[in-house]
Amino acid sequence: MKISKKIIDNLKKGGVDFYLSVPCKLLANMIDILENDKDVYYSAVPREEEGMGICAGAYLGNKFPCIMMQNTGIGNSVNAIVSLLQLYQMPVVFLISYRGTPGEPVGAQGGMAKITEDILHTLRIPMLHCTSEKELDKISTFSKHAKVIESPVAILCDFNLMKDDT
Amino acid sequence: MNRFDLLNKVQNFLKENLVICNIGLPSQELYKISDQPNFFYMLGSMGLSSSIGLGLALSQNKHVISIDGDGSVLMNMNTLATIGNRAPSNYTLLIIDNGSYGSTGDQRTFTNEKTSLKEVALGAGCKNVVECSGVETVNELSKAIDDKDNSYVIISKINSGNVKIDPIPLNPITIRDRFRKFIGIVKYL
Repeated sequence: MKISKKIIDNLKKGGVDFYLSVPCKLLANMIDILENDKDVYYSAVPREEEGMGICAGAYLGNKFPCIMMQNTGIGNSVNAIVSLLQLYQMPVVFLISYRGTPGEPVGAQGGMAKITEDILHTLRIPMLHCTSEKELDKISTFSKHAKVIESPVAILCDFNLMKDDT
Repeated sequence: MNRFDLLNKVQNFLKENLVICNIGLPSQELYKISDQPNFFYMLGSMGLSSSIGLGLALSQNKHVISIDGDGSVLMNMNTLATIGNRAPSNYTLLIIDNGSYGSTGDQRTFTNEKTSLKEVALGAGCKNVVECSGVETVNELSKAIDDKDNSYVIISKINSGNVKIDPIPLNPITIRDRFRKFIGIVKYL
């Protein structure tokens, strides 16, 4: 819970006040925290691409949105990211549980893990790759950066960083 | 009645509300009928009009109308479940259901065969789901906007067919900034 709390605290410190998630077991604690947080909006959504659309609307309505998802969700969302968030220059934080990184028990997650950062590079999305707890301190500044550059940004949280956060 | 006729008929209701308009011909036709700063024209991301409108309705108090199409809703059908569970009362989804992919040459969609978006919306948890003719749409839209306690999904069954039209000559940042300025957010411009 300590890691998850630190991530949410830093996102809130960075101004993020609207959260969506497509669940992952590595995000479960963060979802619990957000469901009990009266200061911010939180909802589950069925699909990441749809979530990108909801985040775009939230930005138009003066919220600072974050969508939490597995890295597989980036694959589901490429056109929405390029033809909506980037076309209209909308700041959105992607909080990504980086499935398929070392420690991952499910071999099938390895495929998307191998290309996740390449996709984000191709999309020119700034990345903060968190492999240890100390990197979580950068999340608030990194989130604020999304608003400054009017662009989506991606925070990747490795499997081993999240797996013992019970 | 086709989409252009319908947009003409409802334009006065759109002027007073925040409008998210579907990509392609719907946006181009609306722009031709009456361009307004409170109209957000989608230039990409087919399928997400309902979702953008939902996020907007959840984030501020003005009434939001998402203008969507049958082909676009079929592409993002999970949106109806999210709307059924989360839509606030300042949200109306207007699905212009002409049974065809108008912007790509009027190929038939599944609403022209067995699929009923009304039944899908009801099954997805949407409460106030209205299927009506193009003529009836004006009245239904008016009721939805006036009802301060409920969100609505209106499925307007009209004929396919488009008018000859040009692309929208606005860049995306202009569309974004004047829309946010209308809400009262952007101070510059």
